[in-house]
Amino acid sequence: MDLHEHKVLIANRGEIAIRILKACRKLGLEFVCVHTQEDHASGHVRLARGLGGSKSLYRISSYHDANELMAVADESGATAIHPGYGFFSEDYRFARRVIQREREMIFIGPSWRIIRELGDKINTKRLARSLDVPTVPGSDRPIYDEMEAEELARTLFNFQTDNQIRNPLVLIKASAGGGGMGIEEVHDPDLFRSVYRRVRNYAARQFKDEGVLIEQRIRDFNHLEVQILADRNCKTLVHFGTRNCSIQSTGLQKRLEVAPGFDPSSVSYNFDAAGVLEQIIRHSLNIAHKVRYDNAGTWEWIVTREGNPYLMEVNARIQVENGVSSAITRIRGQEGVDLLVEQIRTGLGDPLGYTQEDISFEGVSLEYRIIAEDPEQRFTPWVGRIERFHQPEEPWLTMHSHVPTDEPYDIPTEFDPNLALGIIWGRDLQEARGRGLSFLKKMILEGRTAQGEPMKTNLEFLKKKTGDILKF
Amino acid sequence: MLDISALLDEIKASPYQESSILAPHSGVLSLSPDLAPGSRVQGPHGPWKEKPGTLLACLEREHNRKEIRAPENCEIVSCNLEASGTFVEAGTVLARARHKLSREEVLQILLKKALFLFLAPEKARYYFIPQVDLKVKNSPPKSVSVYNGMDLFIISRMKRESSLSYSGPDGVIYAVYFSFNSNMEAGSPLIGVCPPDMVRQIEEVSLRVQTEWQEPGEA
Repeated sequence: MDLHEHKVLIANRGEIAIRILKACRKLGLEFVCVHTQEDHASGHVRLARGLGGSKSLYRISSYHDANELMAVADESGATAIHPGYGFFSEDYRFARRVIQREREMIFIGPSWRIIRELGDKINTKRLARSLDVPTVPGSDRPIYDEMEAEELARTLFNFQTDNQIRNPLVLIKASAGGGGMGIEEVHDPDLFRSVYRRVRNYAARQFKDEGVLIEQRIRDFNHLEVQILADRNCKTLVHFGTRNCSIQSTGLQKRLEVAPGFDPSSVSYNFDAAGVLEQIIRHSLNIAHKVRYDNAGTWEWIVTREGNPYLMEVNARIQVENGVSSAITRIRGQEGVDLLVEQIRTGLGDPLGYTQEDISFEGVSLEYRIIAEDPEQRFTPWVGRIERFHQPEEPWLTMHSHVPTDEPYDIPTEFDPNLALGIIWGRDLQEARGRGLSFLKKMILEGRTAQGEPMKTNLEFLKKKTGDILKF
Repeated sequence: MLDISALLDEIKASPYQESSILAPHSGVLSLSPDLAPGSRVQGPHGPWKEKPGTLLACLEREHNRKEIRAPENCEIVSCNLEASGTFVEAGTVLARARHKLSREEVLQILLKKALFLFLAPEKARYYFIPQVDLKVKNSPPKSVSVYNGMDLFIISRMKRESSLSYSGPDGVIYAVYFSFNSNMEAGSPLIGVCPPDMVRQIEEVSLRVQTEWQEPGEA
């Protein structure tokens, strides 16, 4: 089937649905969007209604209902499904079902075997250890038993104490979680049990799986990522550089991302930063080659102040922050790279068409996640009506948002509270920072709760943090 | 003081309720051939409501056939005949039906007026904290006590959770108005609490409804 004959079902919502929709249009592909009742006012619905042809928008009961998505795909004549991020993006059963059903379709993402292998944090850890890739000390399988969890936590506390680590910490993570959800740290072994129970109950409610991972909590680190892209059957596999996602909320959720991961040309580090970047790229490519990775994916790392990298996990999907990698990447010297376009194109079977030698990097890119939340109150999500949303227009700025600019918008409470992504590019870190601050100053976001209280946003937090970008 | 007689008279003056029967999800719709405006359908029945209601429609998606049955004894007011045989979206109105209020429904209406209602402060999902949840599930009905300032709920919205304390008179939880994983609008009641000094009045409400409200079909 010719690339242009495909019709893509976008099994997601909000900003990522819009980005996929636009990528489809760049490639000349037809698309079909879905939405739930709660999302009727979302920008992706308006855009699909305005730009789509017949059978391009359907209301469904839930983004989590695979049967409905398949039924809509059949009804609309879709030939491929793009899961975006979250929802079904790392569900290998869904990916397998898409390609193995009576009316076969293409799953735009890694093949289901790879998602099964790497989508699971625990398998990834085992694989990494087998390839001598450093990982964070801790469990390498989900733990369901309280006594076992306590025993492991005690071992990790003792290990840190033996290594003269002052204030040892242990991290409890929902094994089925993601996006920073269901993670808590424990500083006192006596409190472990109550925190463990809280995370376990949260995981059961939110992810329907009580399993947890228990790890040593490494403090004072930077969160780095390596962006990988490969075509089908892993014929050509390249990286799109590194990102630094260390600026996070208190709940360990990303708020500001930067590409590249370090900038030794303008920031001084206690270690060979360029060498560390090379090291994590090499390890990531090594694992990707080993599993014959065949689409877009991200290798997540933590790098300690001493410059020691540890692999955290692999996200076998496209990520929110892919835009900063696109912004600094040049293919044969050309700008305007769109990772989503590349992902869809290669996912549909097109060869990559270039190698690592054709890829270069230029400048620094920042991504601000604009969120309705109260940073003063532990980043509690703010719920209410947005009355005014104005985004500045600049040649160095790309905005992605599902919030309408021409009418009020009630924020749905069912989904993540992300409102917009502002992606800035500068020739160097200093210029990117300056442009970032200018963007944040011009951004207008106003609204009220049902009780008339004014809107809370993280704009001030982002302004403050802009000065800390890429610093340890 | 609640004027039960006046409230009952008000309900008796307009004892019917009309509601829409919606497609719970998308799929190909087949309306039952017997379904037509004016037809009477039966809800779940039998001593334990073990017999399903009249078949109204079927929705099929991915070879999964979902039967949509009458939720209660009612009369079909209108039905979406044009949609039969086509692919329908979630939330499509399949039919409109009206039914006479049952004794239980009348009781619930009156209880909402008599009990102290603790309202959802914002749109979110609500859960009892695990200790209370266990008690509500395992204890006999109307036996779980609450007091002012008690940690009672977990609020979950946008995947973030926080705790919520009960504020109101001490008493027992008489009615729970939220269900697991469903979103509650701001201002909608979460629980109905019966303070000790209202027990007699609540019992009277229950007794009056039992004796004065005739179920459809009763002589």
